[in-house]
Amino acid sequence: MDNSGKEKEAVALMAEAEKKVKSSQSFFGSLFGGSSKMEEACDMYARAANMFKMAKNWNCSVSAAGNAFSQAARLHLQMQSKHDAATNFIDAGNAFKKADPQEAINCLNRAIEIYTDMGRFTIAAKHHVTIAEVFEAELVDIEKAIAHYEQAADYYKGEESTSSANKCLLKVASYAAQLEQYPKAIEIYEQVGTHAMDSTLLKYSAKDYFFKAALCHFCVDMLNAKLALQKYEEMFPAFSDSRECKLIKKLLDAYEEQNVDAYTDAVKEYDTISRLDQWLTTMLLRIKKTIQEDESDLR
Amino acid sequence: MAAYPKSHNPFADDNEEEEETSRSGPKRGFNFDDEPEESNLSPAERRQRQLQQEVMRTAQSAVDSSYRSLGLIYESEKVGAETAEELIRQGEALKRTERMVDNMEQDMRTSQRHINSIKSVWGGLVNYFKGKPDPKPPQRDQPTGYQANSRLQDALSDSKVHEDKYQESHPNLRKLDTSGFGASASLDNDSSNQNGYPKNKHLRSAHQQLDNNLDEMSLGLSRLKNLGLGLQAEIDDQDVSLDSLLNKVDSMDGKISSTNRQLKNLK
Repeated sequence: MDNSGKEKEAVALMAEAEKKVKSSQSFFGSLFGGSSKMEEACDMYARAANMFKMAKNWNCSVSAAGNAFSQAARLHLQMQSKHDAATNFIDAGNAFKKADPQEAINCLNRAIEIYTDMGRFTIAAKHHVTIAEVFEAELVDIEKAIAHYEQAADYYKGEESTSSANKCLLKVASYAAQLEQYPKAIEIYEQVGTHAMDSTLLKYSAKDYFFKAALCHFCVDMLNAKLALQKYEEMFPAFSDSRECKLIKKLLDAYEEQNVDAYTDAVKEYDTISRLDQWLTTMLLRIKKTIQEDESDLR
Repeated sequence: MAAYPKSHNPFADDNEEEEETSRSGPKRGFNFDDEPEESNLSPAERRQRQLQQEVMRTAQSAVDSSYRSLGLIYESEKVGAETAEELIRQGEALKRTERMVDNMEQDMRTSQRHINSIKSVWGGLVNYFKGKPDPKPPQRDQPTGYQANSRLQDALSDSKVHEDKYQESHPNLRKLDTSGFGASASLDNDSSNQNGYPKNKHLRSAHQQLDNNLDEMSLGLSRLKNLGLGLQAEIDDQDVSLDSLLNKVDSMDGKISSTNRQLKNLK
């Protein structure tokens, strides 16, 4: 209704802002207070961008919004106000997320550079997580997503936010395990598990982490899994009572006997009480395949 | 675990199952050597069989529902654990915010001094005599990780001690004393009482399963209770720090606006 009107306003604002910038760069402009003109131009860009967002015409105008925001950001950079520049880059990134993920990532990267320059690692970490999510969802580039999650976890650890760091690390571990990078995944799960079992609230999730670590061990080698299981039971006695531990023991037995049916039964039994999620199913299927391969080898 | 099929004549299978299943304990069950001949049954026996089937059905549905409850309990535990993690993350964020606000206060004080010295020569002299405001020990030395509330630890050890006593005293947890299941109780020759479990093999297994599930459910529920207590303690703590944060931010707000005003007047 009002959208097209807003769009036209926004376009007009952008044109004005550009004029202002050009004029401030001319000789007289810089003489007579070029900086205030730049600030006004920045404001106008920002307002134009907001109006584009209001118009909500995602296909063309969102990139217009994103463009407006990034223009504003660049102006801020020229004026040496890094904070504002970074904020505008973030806005640009968010606007681009819907239209052009690649451009969004560029903007977010630039914002992160500015923040790390200023030493604001927490915010940088938060935006690494955003970028990683974009890679997960829209660009489906798991390797890059893992890299960003790792970076975010490092920054969080540097700022002593262990639980935020752990959240990112867990995502890294689950993707690493899916990509068969088992040692990395095992290390992360063990680390997070040991950390969790000391905390009064987190210990309820510790058994979950040990379970996942044991499964990763299992994918590599059965003996590893056995040793690891013993280790975890020693470290964390409550783990032995959990159903997850019992499941792993049954799976180990089935593997030793090369009995696929026992394996499937144990998994089904566990599934009746707690649904298995996608990740668990993938890992369990992989292990099952190794049993079946061994069986056929023996023939 | 033998998933006992519903609406199935339990006694026709008795003979077959006695060979395949390796149940512990003496071979119990009805001494049913003949094949059931429906037509020869008196109405009383037919009625008896109906009742027995009814009983099996009820027992089976009880077992099924206990499985469902167990599943639900584990699900709630999972949800609770995830909530706990989120809560701890929030707590860390709050602590970080508080630290930053303290830093801001420090900075505001410094800027106030500067403004004073700019405003007037007299102010500058006063500042000189007041000396530097003692910089609070820089709170940049990170607090050693976030310590979630530890009252839970005591609650946990307490509840374990009481759990055993509770199990002894609670009437429902005493073993089922349902003898007299099945009219053929009189046929029984063995003297060893199977701990009060019903004599019919399948019924017995169903009841055993039910008991196991109930035990697991009680464990799960106690874990849930402790989780809930821990969550509550954590939320209380965060409440307190939220309040103090609110105060600090409010006073910060006032200081900022007064500083702004002063700056405007300086022009």
